[in-house]
Amino acid sequence: MATEIQWERTLDKALSRAKAEHKPILMFFHNPE
Amino acid sequence: MGAVTFPDSKVIDFITQNVIPLQLPHDHKPLADQFQVKWTPTLVTLDKDGKEHHRTVGFLAPEDLIPSLILGRAKIHFDHENFEEALKSLDALLRDYPKSGAAPEAIFIQGVCLYKTSHKPKPLKDVYEKLQAEYPESEWTKRAYPYRLL
Repeated sequence: MATEIQWERTLDKALSRAKAEHKPILMFFHNPE
Repeated sequence: MGAVTFPDSKVIDFITQNVIPLQLPHDHKPLADQFQVKWTPTLVTLDKDGKEHHRTVGFLAPEDLIPSLILGRAKIHFDHENFEEALKSLDALLRDYPKSGAAPEAIFIQGVCLYKTSHKPKPLKDVYEKLQAEYPESEWTKRAYPYRLL
């Protein structure tokens, strides 16, 4: 069981995983301040 | 979202198993401009080619985020005209999260999928009647209003 979300930080990496794992991407824009 | 929704164990499990999570600052160059992000939190569901299919702006509690993500998955299938897979996601959403904010739109798209696969108008009329009975104040009930005449 994961204890936190393992976020990707680049779209290229997310797209690569999405193709390999046949999953959609959740792209979350946030304000880190 | 970072303090309440994303630390939720059900959200962690759902995201880990069903989507590729990508976190970006609101001023990320060039993606914030490319996706016209004007407020946070903005959540966008993309397909494996990077095309947008679903978006929400503003806070979502855990019990609304998960159905919103399911709706995003359904809309990818719907936009790709894979109606059977879209219906599987929509059925799951409406079974498990009938009180969520995503439910009225899910009912609407469910009816359109059934119309697309049957070429009969009854599913559209059923959409209006179900929305009118269960979500009379929803914008999706208003959008389905013409279907009452079918």
